Amino acid sequence: MTRDRAFFLGILVVSLAAGLWAFARRDRVVPEARVTGRPIQLEGDGYVSSQTCQACHPSQYASWHRSYHRTMTQVATPETVVARFDGVLEQRGREIWAQFPDPDRSQSEVGVHSDSSQSGLGVKSDSSQSRDDRLQVRRQVVMTTGSHHQQIYWYATGNSRMLGQLPMIWLTADRKWIPRRAALMAPPPTNTLHAFSETGAWNGVCVACHTTNGRPAFDTPFGSQSVTTQTADTTAVEFGIACESCHGPAAEHIARNRNPWRRYSLHVSGAADATIVQPRRLDAARGSQVCGQCHSSWEFSDRQGERHANARGLPYRPGDELAATRLIVQPTANLDSPRMKELLAGDPGFVRDLFWSDGMVRATGREYNGLIESPCFRHAKDEARKLSCFSCHTMHKTADDARPLDEWADDQLAPHAHENDACAQCHANSRQHSHHRADSAGSACYNCHMPYTTYGLLKTIRSHQISSPSVQASLDTGRPNACNLCHLDRTLAWTADALNQWYGTPKPALDPGDNDAQQVAASLLWLLRGDAGQRAIVAQSMGWRPAQQASAQGWLQPYLALLQTDSYDAVRYIASRSLSTLPEFRRGQLPRGLAPLLINADGSFDAPTVDRLVRQRNTRRVIYRE
Amino acid sequence: MRAELTAVDFANRHLRFGWWSLLVFAVLGLTLESLHGFKVRAYLDASNDTRRLMWTLAHAHGTALAIIHVAFGLMLRVAPDAAARDARTISISLIAASVLLPGGFFLGGVTTYGGDPGLGVLLVPVGAAALLWAIFSIARGIRTSRARSAETPSRR
Repeated sequence: MTRDRAFFLGILVVSLAAGLWAFARRDRVVPEARVTGRPIQLEGDGYVSSQTCQACHPSQYASWHRSYHRTMTQVATPETVVARFDGVLEQRGREIWAQFPDPDRSQSEVGVHSDSSQSGLGVKSDSSQSRDDRLQVRRQVVMTTGSHHQQIYWYATGNSRMLGQLPMIWLTADRKWIPRRAALMAPPPTNTLHAFSETGAWNGVCVACHTTNGRPAFDTPFGSQSVTTQTADTTAVEFGIACESCHGPAAEHIARNRNPWRRYSLHVSGAADATIVQPRRLDAARGSQVCGQCHSSWEFSDRQGERHANARGLPYRPGDELAATRLIVQPTANLDSPRMKELLAGDPGFVRDLFWSDGMVRATGREYNGLIESPCFRHAKDEARKLSCFSCHTMHKTADDARPLDEWADDQLAPHAHENDACAQCHANSRQHSHHRADSAGSACYNCHMPYTTYGLLKTIRSHQISSPSVQASLDTGRPNACNLCHLDRTLAWTADALNQWYGTPKPALDPGDNDAQQVAASLLWLLRGDAGQRAIVAQSMGWRPAQQASAQGWLQPYLALLQTDSYDAVRYIASRSLSTLPEFRRGQLPRGLAPLLINADGSFDAPTVDRLVRQRNTRRVIYRE
Repeated sequence: MRAELTAVDFANRHLRFGWWSLLVFAVLGLTLESLHGFKVRAYLDASNDTRRLMWTLAHAHGTALAIIHVAFGLMLRVAPDAAARDARTISISLIAASVLLPGGFFLGGVTTYGGDPGLGVLLVPVGAAALLWAIFSIARGIRTSRARSAETPSRR
């Protein structure tokens, strides 16, 4: 063999070896259909998935891809998990694992006796937890929910495609773990040994809105038997809320538009393509129902519908009449309907935990319920000017929007919707109307007409029911009003006077026996004697910059500190977050002689009154069905 | 009445056209690179994906065709008989292709409909047909020319 031949042969062998090595080290992607232990993504029912849409709609795909709709449900990988791998989660190659107390099985149930005080979650156990005899298990984390504010983790239970929920969740902004139970506005558990199990919830509940065309495929109706024996072959066309969640199944659209002549005819004529749903082209009500399919409080119209959904998913398709296949909960309209009565008989808190007593929705993620109760929707005579979700929001960042995608993705607001322009589409924008300085927060329409009175995800969000500030509504429902959520140092009587003077709003008759309503700042009344929901709303307002600027300075810290002892985890958390926005408290800075703030002339607190109001606290069990 | 052009005239025409054309499309390439360099959104945003593709295709086709013009010009100098029969048609087809193909792609990127280019892209198939005809004619001319050479007795 010549030297040249040997040289080339050597190169050949080295190349082959390098190729084999790269092949052996390649990422082995298991075809989705062969994945076990978790729900899988399968096309069907006329759905084609966003991968197909991308080719012809790159811009829309790009903005959707950056949206939190896409990341609502993801397969757990080192890239999709936003939490730190710091003891709670463990990375093994491409897999994520966790050890935690099994919410569904105790040691005594399986005959194991060992010291269970060692938490595999790296959490210090208190005495009550050390008595917990939950079985410690190590499970593979296979799916995630969310990423914007929180991320929830789901593990493979080993039972069909049924998922269980990790008892810890990750707070994205704070970059820390908290117990899942603490992330919900719910009363403290009466029995700390009671396990908080969400097993099967993904397959039975989350799948409906956090995936595209999810099909639970339970063997028997969800909840009809123990989650340990029930099985589910859950599938979805796509994890996350993808193109076809809002535009409907696209198989026909794809097939018909392979014809370039058809495409260009539509481009040039500007005509609507009948093979796909464009929510913006629907009328305001029908278009908003596309969002309302998930952003609403609803129930199955009947048992048959529920069984059908448990097996094959929800029948609603974009463009359909939403109420045709489900009951939209609207206390002002259907509280007395037979179905609602049936639901309330089985679950008395069903409406109370979601709505204020006047029918305004109070839990986040139910914005459609707010929309349909808004006067701009209900009383609009001109269809073109009727309020819809798209009056303020856009699901795809528009070409004229200069904001970066990350900024747009936060609320998916249209470029004009950040300022008063959103309302000025129909209403004249005048300083005379607001009675506030033009450049002040008080002149922003939404601060008065969409105050932060809706709660969810450990924060308050703006009410999506457009309303005007009303002391009467505050008295009737207990819902804090916009004026007193900004002017935290003012009484209800002060607000009633101002509204009467400016807008002729009739002054409500304050309870003559309730001197506090006349003399104590409304925020303090809600904070000291209100229920947990009111306390959370006020605690959040105390950390809101416009409210801090509009109210007297230096008195908020002690009251927020008082909430650090609140029995509701969520209230304590919000108060703590608001406290962190304020400078360190110094006793000397406390204003003097502010009776509405319960501060005496010598700068001391009116402790007897504070104590009395705390003793009057509304201790009803508040649960928000987020 | 115009005088009949010789193979040398055609060769000069295509060399001239090729080099000037190469200059134009090299400048276009540099411009596109500058759009990348300065991160111009009208070119780089995801919403302008189709424009980016169309203008890149315009640059690539324009440059490749310019080189074909130069090659054709050189070929006419080396082997004048090769395209003697259809020289005029080939010349017109090649120049038409050089204008219509990259021009169509470029115009198709000026206005886009999502994933579909603008109507200017309709020029592309016409230009492609002209190019194919030119290539076919050159290939056929070379074959005929070789056959003719074989029939002609060698002078040596």
